[in-house]
Amino acid sequence: MLLKRESSGKRWRIRPDGLEKVTGSLAYLTDMSAAGMLYGRVLRSPHPHALILRICTEKARQLEGVHAVLTHLDVPGLNRYGIAHQDQPVFCENKVRYVGDAVAAVAAETAELAELALTLIEVDYELLPIVDDAERALLQDAPLLHPQGNILHHSQFHRGQLGSGFSACAHIVEDTYFTPRQMHTYMETEGGLFVPQEDGRLTVYSPTQHGFMDRLQLSRITAMKQERIRIVSSPIGGSFGGKDELNVQPYGALLALKTNRPVKLHHSRWESVRAGLKRHPMKISMKTGTDASGRLLAHQVRIIADTGAYATLGAEVLNFTVEHVLGPYRYEHVEVDGYSVYTNNGMSGEFRGFGGNQAIFALEGQLDRLAEKLGMDPWELRRMNMRMPDDPGPFGQPIVVTEGAMQVWNAAEASDLWQERGAPNREEEREPWLKVGIGSAFTMHGGGLGVGIPDPAGGRLSLAADGRIEAIFGYEEFGQGLLATLELMLIEQFGLAASDIRMIIGDTDLVPDSGSTTASRATSMMWKTLQNLKLPFTSQLLERAAELLGISVDKLAMGAGGIYETAGNTLLLSYKELAEAEGERISCSTSFLFPTSDTSRTGAHFLYTYAAVVVKVEINQLTGRVRVLDQYHAVAAGPVMNPQGFLGQIEGGSSMALGFTLTEDALMQQGQYMTKNLDTYLVPTIVEHRGAVTVEPIEHLPQGDSYGPRGIGEVGSVTLAPAIAAAIHQAVGIRVTKLPIEPELLQNDCAFAFAEEAVSKR
Amino acid sequence: MSKHEMLGAPRGAKQRELACTINGEDMKLEVNGAKRLLSVLRDDLALTGTKRSCEIGRCGACMVLVDGKPINACLTMAYQCAGKQITTIEGIGAADGGIEPIQRAFLEEGGFQCGYCTPGMIISVKALLDRSPDPSEEEVEEALSGNICRCTGYGGIKRAVQRAIEWRREAP
Repeated sequence: MLLKRESSGKRWRIRPDGLEKVTGSLAYLTDMSAAGMLYGRVLRSPHPHALILRICTEKARQLEGVHAVLTHLDVPGLNRYGIAHQDQPVFCENKVRYVGDAVAAVAAETAELAELALTLIEVDYELLPIVDDAERALLQDAPLLHPQGNILHHSQFHRGQLGSGFSACAHIVEDTYFTPRQMHTYMETEGGLFVPQEDGRLTVYSPTQHGFMDRLQLSRITAMKQERIRIVSSPIGGSFGGKDELNVQPYGALLALKTNRPVKLHHSRWESVRAGLKRHPMKISMKTGTDASGRLLAHQVRIIADTGAYATLGAEVLNFTVEHVLGPYRYEHVEVDGYSVYTNNGMSGEFRGFGGNQAIFALEGQLDRLAEKLGMDPWELRRMNMRMPDDPGPFGQPIVVTEGAMQVWNAAEASDLWQERGAPNREEEREPWLKVGIGSAFTMHGGGLGVGIPDPAGGRLSLAADGRIEAIFGYEEFGQGLLATLELMLIEQFGLAASDIRMIIGDTDLVPDSGSTTASRATSMMWKTLQNLKLPFTSQLLERAAELLGISVDKLAMGAGGIYETAGNTLLLSYKELAEAEGERISCSTSFLFPTSDTSRTGAHFLYTYAAVVVKVEINQLTGRVRVLDQYHAVAAGPVMNPQGFLGQIEGGSSMALGFTLTEDALMQQGQYMTKNLDTYLVPTIVEHRGAVTVEPIEHLPQGDSYGPRGIGEVGSVTLAPAIAAAIHQAVGIRVTKLPIEPELLQNDCAFAFAEEAVSKR
Repeated sequence: MSKHEMLGAPRGAKQRELACTINGEDMKLEVNGAKRLLSVLRDDLALTGTKRSCEIGRCGACMVLVDGKPINACLTMAYQCAGKQITTIEGIGAADGGIEPIQRAFLEEGGFQCGYCTPGMIISVKALLDRSPDPSEEEVEEALSGNICRCTGYGGIKRAVQRAIEWRREAP
């Protein structure tokens, strides 16, 4: 059933955080201010690679209204951060490695004064040769960016005998795929307010996807005990993975502690571009072969990922790519060789899809090329080679049984859009230079952090003193609709009314550590938490109610407003009355780990979401521009928890993928950004969104599946690019290997002749 | 060099009294004429519904109505506001203190996710429907082409605008 308002009934609900968003009254953390507040600014390197010879902060310090100027000498604890590897300097000591590298920070009475103070800080640099290409960084004579070399991470996988595999092939295709340095472009740039408390504690109001990870990292930097730091981390004006790593927090925290005054930092867009993370640009070379019937035999992949100056999650992203270049297909002979390489380019890191986007673009491109060689329907080739429900995962690891691959394949096959593929041009007359094509692609996408990475989950339910039932989680709301999903689950699973519920998230003083809000995991983990808590919490409430009412527990049930008698369906006791009754406070919590596969392969996944996309595009051969006319997405992720949120995540993910495919690239030359703001870095606007995005969720799971809903936060963003590439090929016969697609590639001289003829006739 | 000059004000610029109307209220503000309206609203008046994002007039997060026209507050100088009627998202709402039908349409259709672009988006829709109550799809696209949303994929936004148009048609 297609997902829309009309098919969702009562489950299509107004979000609990909606009213404040449409009236502008919601205070994002960058909207906050405090009495006596100072403004923070960070001095960053103008050079992509240089030695620091001298830093002189004297003049800046002397400026009236400047309260602190900090350098590496002022970091009380560890002068490094990073979720997985702490190798990024808070302040550089003697070397800068990219144009976002921080050298100093100031706090002043006005933003303008802080800006002026930055110009008074003198830094002498000695320029070093720039390594701005990942492939060149691997050469023997390349300048070393880190003492251990220029390779952050090397990840390999092999199975079978590649040589004999290829020699048995009847058809082999070989190509190299390039993907861009995509920018998250969250509308709210990084920032926040840092407030020293009277008791010496520090409160940090700054967006992140994992408050407890920020707290741990800030505790290392400030040499304060973790409990002395409170992180308030939601609401967030978009993140998409981009705010998971620390950004302004080290500077805000250190400046606030130094001045003992509240400090506000809010990045300008250009500051956000130069210092922020991007999607890893990748070069993926693939050689793939089949037998004469189309059966895949051998698949060889080489990946070079440009991770930029420091590690952040570069190794983990590469592991994900290595897994996903294998995809949902069966092959005997496989070899993958991946490198994540340091350069003096901008920092790459976590981004929605986590390296799957690059992998799927390349892999699905190979399948299309093979189908052409075989003279076969590309969709049929996929069916022939697809994994079966009980097949192991890409690394041969045990994974949860689902029919997801075949389900989304079948759904796409049956879709109106794919049925149209024989005659995409039929419905209307077009100018001769406009060509239309239909293409499709599909994927399996891992959820959770994978084997070998701490992946805790859990939460708490409590009856508060005022009679509200509190759902307390360490997750963050960055727009994905987590609160709406949680509220709906509480209503449906516990029979509560919205007014009975208080949801508490995003504050390390109040919530348990539920793990990160990343990797399409939060909805799955909230669902599992509620499953775990349902019986103990409900029975505690009902037992207490039974005592008070003198009625046996089995005659009572939870409902809207309070406890009901099941037979008569009458309200016997409100939650408020229950809360006011004497006795120990009713509260239940659970903690567990995201389920993982029984394998030693680091990063390997256990739970997967499957998706297939069919897309119809129009190519203007005069301009070379591609316009997406229609999209169909089938997503097999188990039961839909929140229809509005599900639709929004797939539509929004596909929009991000549209930019990835057609316009978005944070261009760099010699380690400098050429695209500094939204005038040159082009994300899709409403004008780019023609036609409908039809979403078909496949909710059926095998009998006995205990894992419930799978994540959908990322999967909408991974499969559109190869589907568009396939549609372009159908329309104009050109194979795209590089994203974003360069219009020059699709321009056609004959089309110009047509245009001239058409004009002369008028 | 005076502190005033150091702050980047043009030589000779003075703190001037700026008289304008903001959300229906007559205001007299002491501001440097070269200060941006975005900063006046957010920093001086704490009207933070107007959002800061690209600051070069591309994303529309800071859209406000100036004499009914949608304007990027990041590109507008304080001096340009003299005598003008300025409406921010805080000034949008039904006469009875409730919300505008456009706002309700965004709520019901899920025309937002993180919500950071939403105030600007609603301002642009309001400007459009006030001047053209029954716009074509092209008009809607043109009117919203200066408002970037990174979350929704615009599907929910389009549905919200269509719904707002329908409501206006039903109850003029």
